[in-house]
Amino acid sequence: MKVQRIQAGYLPGLNEDEVQWHSLAFERDGQRLDVAVPVLTGAQMHALADRVRAAADSHLRRMPVAEIIDAIDRAIARLLDRDDPYRRQAETWLPVVSGYDADMVRLGLTGFFRTFRAAQLRRFVAEDFANPGVLDGFEPAPKGGAVRAFGPDLLVHSWAGNVPALSLWSLLCGLLVKAPGIGKLASAEPLFAGWFARLLAEVHAPLADCLAVVWWDGAGGETGAGAEGAAALYARADTVLAYGGNASLDALRRRLPVTTRFLPHGHKLGFGLVGAQALDALKAPAVARLAAWDVMRYDQQGCYSPHVFYVERGAPVPPRAFADYLAAELANLQRRFARRALDLAEGAAVAKWQQAVEWGSAQDLLLGPSDAPWSVAYSDSLQPLAPTALYRSIAVVAVDRLDAVVPVVAAQREFLQTAGIAAGPEELYRLAGLLGAAGVTRISAIGSMSMPEAGWHHDGRFNLLDLVRMTEIEQSAEMAAQPFAAYAD
Amino acid sequence: MDKAASLVADLLAFIALDGCTDDQFDALALRLFAYQYASNLPFRNFCQRRGATLRNVKTWSDIPAVPIDAFKAMELRSAPPASEERVFMTSGTTGRAARGRHFHPQLDVYDLSMARNFAPRFMRGAERLPMGILFPDEQAMPNSSLAHYLALAKSAFGTPDSRYYLTPEGLDMAGLCAALQESERSGQPYALLGASFSLVHVMDALQAEGRSFRLPAGSRILDTGGYKGQSRELPLEDFYADLTQLLGVPRSHCINMYGMTELSTQFYDDGNATLPSVKSGPHWIRSRLVEPITGRSVAAGERGILVHCDLANYNAVTTILTEDVGLWADGGFLLLGRAEGAAAKGCSLAVEEFVQAATA
Repeated sequence: MKVQRIQAGYLPGLNEDEVQWHSLAFERDGQRLDVAVPVLTGAQMHALADRVRAAADSHLRRMPVAEIIDAIDRAIARLLDRDDPYRRQAETWLPVVSGYDADMVRLGLTGFFRTFRAAQLRRFVAEDFANPGVLDGFEPAPKGGAVRAFGPDLLVHSWAGNVPALSLWSLLCGLLVKAPGIGKLASAEPLFAGWFARLLAEVHAPLADCLAVVWWDGAGGETGAGAEGAAALYARADTVLAYGGNASLDALRRRLPVTTRFLPHGHKLGFGLVGAQALDALKAPAVARLAAWDVMRYDQQGCYSPHVFYVERGAPVPPRAFADYLAAELANLQRRFARRALDLAEGAAVAKWQQAVEWGSAQDLLLGPSDAPWSVAYSDSLQPLAPTALYRSIAVVAVDRLDAVVPVVAAQREFLQTAGIAAGPEELYRLAGLLGAAGVTRISAIGSMSMPEAGWHHDGRFNLLDLVRMTEIEQSAEMAAQPFAAYAD
Repeated sequence: MDKAASLVADLLAFIALDGCTDDQFDALALRLFAYQYASNLPFRNFCQRRGATLRNVKTWSDIPAVPIDAFKAMELRSAPPASEERVFMTSGTTGRAARGRHFHPQLDVYDLSMARNFAPRFMRGAERLPMGILFPDEQAMPNSSLAHYLALAKSAFGTPDSRYYLTPEGLDMAGLCAALQESERSGQPYALLGASFSLVHVMDALQAEGRSFRLPAGSRILDTGGYKGQSRELPLEDFYADLTQLLGVPRSHCINMYGMTELSTQFYDDGNATLPSVKSGPHWIRSRLVEPITGRSVAAGERGILVHCDLANYNAVTTILTEDVGLWADGGFLLLGRAEGAAAKGCSLAVEEFVQAATA
């Protein structure tokens, strides 16, 4: 078997042979990739933290946001260029580590990167700051005095999961608020963050030392490889942005000092609503096709991915027929973008979910062959919102009125984020009001559930505002300064 | 004689044989399949969904494997309910409310299956042994297949002084220590049988008292079922090392039984000197290792989910799909734990985390 080695991570100021390397092995189609990830001691982590902080002080914090956006834009342009070595390496290796279909990854990367061009980044900043100038200096405050936003002193990212390049989100948030950052690689996708840090250094050399990318075992890193380094870093960070399951997020929160700002992004449970207005003979197949794309993208592993589509009765195309359309579209997509190969535990989980449908109530149906690499469960009565087994397993639930879905999803408030809606404009706003009150934070078109737009508010939070602290010069200070001026009478 | 009675009679004769050919196994498996297909509606529906009919099921491995969760959802039975039937239920310790049910119109097949297999695999030529049972008796747990199994072991293979040491008041350590001491003194080999977690409790108690025993040669231990969250989780290596150290029973005589409420036949290893041990069953049960979604057998050398075709399961379904991961080994299979806890790979909520959150 051909074995390739890649050194991951990014360690400004540290020599490669000074640190320990841990090997993560990935295998796909007879190709083996060994990814070496850096494991730091407590002392090395302190040195790294000092280094990125000092570099941010002398470079990143002195750059106006417009310049930072310009540097990111140049890096993103290279990632969008299919001939660029960084892009080529991403297209080659991200499918191997994540297991996803190579074409799916290629399309996914392009769709994702283009939401981070200069224009989108400016919109991103404008979403959170009415006057983006506050990131560069003191700006007059309407109430009097002046105000300025300062980013974290040291921002730590803890990434999780195998969605390719997901780390870009939080890395860019940190850069836009001028924070020195150290990220912990996800064991399931340990490549992209280090590459981005390196690429950024190439397009704008002064940024070379402002980011670092490391690894330790597990999210919290309490025990196992790199535990000492993790503890050292968590003690130093003033802001921690973490992805993962609620159990590991909770463990992480418990070990942070109370003064550390903790921004968790837990696993979510997406769903879609298809109204009767969208279910005529022309529109229903089109909506089903879009729905299938949302299910297919990254095999439902995104926080925004749908688990259940609730479909309204009473239209020319009944929910059962919609489920058939969806099944047919999933079968089509399988030919273009094959589902990733499942390991035994994942396959067993899918089989178990299918079996629960098969052996459950007589009104529940599993559509299509049971050994297909996708599955649609159809239910004729309202079901609680619950996760499917993912990997293109989706539930279609028939309802008399979409309003009946509201209490059902409200019961899972802590897991809500994205809802896809196919309905007329008035219905869209009416349902959005109900769903927002129930805990939903993002409403998209079906087909766009798995492609959030630039500047979205992830989990309903302010991606940038949540990172900064405001420093105000009150009017009293301004007034009091006047008599001390050299020109004072 | 009705169809069921003649099947049972043939089944009893089959179990009484010393072995069978592939053709003999297939012949009985297909008869049982036809019987269950005809008399068990949920099973027939399941077969039809899988495209399996009397015509195209030609060998035991063609019989669709029923997932063990189906025992929770449906009454899988061929004979109608009867007042004298016994119902064995799964323990339901895995956090799910519903318990799987296995209906036995009579226990003669179960009992013969147990005894014919237990004699060579655990008794190993011994007629009877004094037994200590570390599990509640059948009166306390009438729906436990393990309680019945152990009661049968005690009555069919235990000497008259055999007894239970797990009472409603808890573990009778004083009584157990007296029996172990007596065995040490007399040189009469002793057999200790029970749930794995009960043995952990015994070892914890012995360690707390600083006591240990050197049971005479020929003594043996049978454990089964794992810890089920009822004791501390002990790695298998430590479990067997501690048994040897505290009771003086060599690991070759520490036998693990792998059984399931959904089956009527057990698997055993030949001691646990090396781990993981190789499990095997008698001639009336056969196993496959499958890929969970397609149900196809896995390639040689690959792990798969265990499917068992147990001919003694004449009333429910012969062929079940477990949630246990296995790997073929010389003389049987290795049991590699349960296929569960498929951790979230991405940021989408996985069933496992959802269930944990719901039960927390």
